[in-house]
Amino acid sequence: MAANVYLFRDARAAPDPVLEAGPVAHGPQPVPLVLDNGSFQARAGWACPGPDPGPEPRLQFRAVCARGRGGARGGAGPQVGNALGSLEPLRWMLRSPFDRNVPVNLELQELLLDYSFQHLGVSSQGCVDHPIVLTEAVCNPLYSRQMMSELLFECYGIPKVAYGIDSLFSFYHNMPKKAVSSGLIISSGYQCTHILPILDGRLDAKNCKRINLGGSQAAGYLQRLLQLKYPGHLAAITLSRMEEILQEHSYIAEDYVEELQKWRCPDYYENNVHKMQLPFSSKLLGSTLTSEEKQERRQQQLRRLQELNARRREEKLQLDQERLDRLLYVQELLEDGQMDQFHKALIELNMDSPEELQSYIQKLSVAVEQAKQKILQAEVNLEVDVVDSKPEPVFNLAAYHQLFVGTERIRAPEIIFQPSLIGEEQAGVAETLQYILDRYPKDTQEMLVQNVFLTGGNVMYPGMKARIEKELLAMRPFQSSFQVHLALNPVLDAWYGARDWALDHLNDDEAWITRKDYEEKGGEFLREHCASNVYVPIRLPKQASRSSEAQASIKGPGPGGSGAGEQA
Amino acid sequence: MAAQIPLVAATSTPGIARNSKKRPASPSHNGSGGGGYGASKKKKVSASGFAQGISMDAMSENKMVPSELSTGPVEKAAKPLPFKDPNFVHSGHGGAVAGKKNRTWKNLKQILASERALPWQLNDPNYFSIDAPPSFKPAKKYSDVSGLLANYTDPQSKLRFSTIEEFSYIRRLPSDVVTGYLALRKATSIVP
Repeated sequence: MAANVYLFRDARAAPDPVLEAGPVAHGPQPVPLVLDNGSFQARAGWACPGPDPGPEPRLQFRAVCARGRGGARGGAGPQVGNALGSLEPLRWMLRSPFDRNVPVNLELQELLLDYSFQHLGVSSQGCVDHPIVLTEAVCNPLYSRQMMSELLFECYGIPKVAYGIDSLFSFYHNMPKKAVSSGLIISSGYQCTHILPILDGRLDAKNCKRINLGGSQAAGYLQRLLQLKYPGHLAAITLSRMEEILQEHSYIAEDYVEELQKWRCPDYYENNVHKMQLPFSSKLLGSTLTSEEKQERRQQQLRRLQELNARRREEKLQLDQERLDRLLYVQELLEDGQMDQFHKALIELNMDSPEELQSYIQKLSVAVEQAKQKILQAEVNLEVDVVDSKPEPVFNLAAYHQLFVGTERIRAPEIIFQPSLIGEEQAGVAETLQYILDRYPKDTQEMLVQNVFLTGGNVMYPGMKARIEKELLAMRPFQSSFQVHLALNPVLDAWYGARDWALDHLNDDEAWITRKDYEEKGGEFLREHCASNVYVPIRLPKQASRSSEAQASIKGPGPGGSGAGEQA
Repeated sequence: MAAQIPLVAATSTPGIARNSKKRPASPSHNGSGGGGYGASKKKKVSASGFAQGISMDAMSENKMVPSELSTGPVEKAAKPLPFKDPNFVHSGHGGAVAGKKNRTWKNLKQILASERALPWQLNDPNYFSIDAPPSFKPAKKYSDVSGLLANYTDPQSKLRFSTIEEFSYIRRLPSDVVTGYLALRKATSIVP
């Protein structure tokens, strides 16, 4: 195998078994269910009390669903997550409940929750009898929390729910319990990247910032770059393969410009380019692409044309010859003196005088001579026509099916630092970090910068930590200190943190939203806790969506914020 | 048993509504479902505890009732999931609202638009106030083809390049690839 050639794994997800809940789920109190509801993956599992908290979340699946093949045939119904196997054949039919990082289509969310509950082995009848810890977006819109609470309380009948932010759960999992008081979280997920300052154990929500770029935008950018570079392999450059390249072959340059200069040098390029081998596809050797096939075709066409012309010439020659013979015969009639027959023949030939006949005969004989000569020439040409093609270029079939990923290895992940690469006007991570720090007094800045925490799936590139450290070095005062930590498991720590939180706060009534709270204060109500959003007590009118109630709300303004959220 | 009958009646009409959520075909279904649900929603919340006990019975009866009323092939799951309330209809979906209009879920843009109109205070954090600000620093220019620093721009196609070889490559590109590269940078506007 040549150097630097890599194969795509093209992994297929195995369908999840329907697990038995087992004894862990049936403690004396109902055991909480922890669900990290992410736009890339949903992770679900039990929060088991007791000495051994248990392993990884039992379920991890892509947060997508798609109808079975062939449209709505009413048979299988929509399949979710790992039951879909490979995502590529269904790419255009995949639907996700998420729009950016907020769930907006709650029917699909319902499907995902059904899938999770079913496969975790929830067996309670008529309702899901377990408290639920669910993650939501930073500063989740009130409408979407209302819809989510409605789904949980009305459809599933859960007793109580707690909403939290995934990056905050991850933070609390990674920080030793006593030292948790302030820090700066940089959380880069699939759809967006957040920078969250934490002060005194609580999220300082008004100084948070969100950049709308994440793993999915990096994958899309990489896909379009490679498709433009290799227009022949359009269909083989799929998003799943792009995600594979990002996860295994990309890295973040510590100094982007310097790294690019290194890539300019051809030796460095040769040593570091990753050649991704695509599976062989015979239909790619189309006639549009190989020059030798084109040449072959051209020659064949030439030959055919020549043969055709030769045949035509021969036929014409024959016709002319016959005509000439007839005319000569008529002329002989004249010479022999048989005037009547001669005149009759002239009339048949549609000629007026012997002179015309004579001239016609002359022309024809000249033409016949020329035709004979041409045929001779053509025959000679055909025989001499040796195909002398150019020396064929050496055709390396394997190299034709390889994608050379060179600077793309650093370009794609760089978009969160320089959104102008992809045309976004927002500032990158470094500039936003500086912007946030500048909103605090100097001593708070000092405190925040001592505890910079990186989490989320999109920070797992090699070199991310070094880059953040370099950016901080550039923006902090001379010879001041800072500390950057990476989460132990940036992908799963949010789930672990939520589980730890659930176990710690199982009996803490201040943190859970109970059914009674939902009914009294509406779906958008939130109880704050150490890992939650900040609740702004604005009341949304209940999304009635029934004609009678809708009319009632039109006639009179509802309690607070009426003109806005009502559904007509 | 007598108490069961009115509850079954109450739960069967939302059953129709639930069916009509999946079969948004006939307005008559929607209308009747809508009216019935509006009245029974409040009842349902208080009676839900009661209903849960007999929800298994109600569910089996629900399965028989809709099968007669449904207009087409019913696409129900293989078996109803036991932990769910089978009579639940999302209020945000607007399946029965205003007849045929407004059937889809609001997308994020619409949600944010309606959220903006709520009475926020100046310092309240909400989804759109935490959007990162636009960049103040001038953007560096990179070559569209290779990603290296680009000092030059092709006046004909407006693509950026860094070496002579890239320039000849650019000049030989078909126009769709050129537009593709510009679209990647969001530089496709016609304004010069």
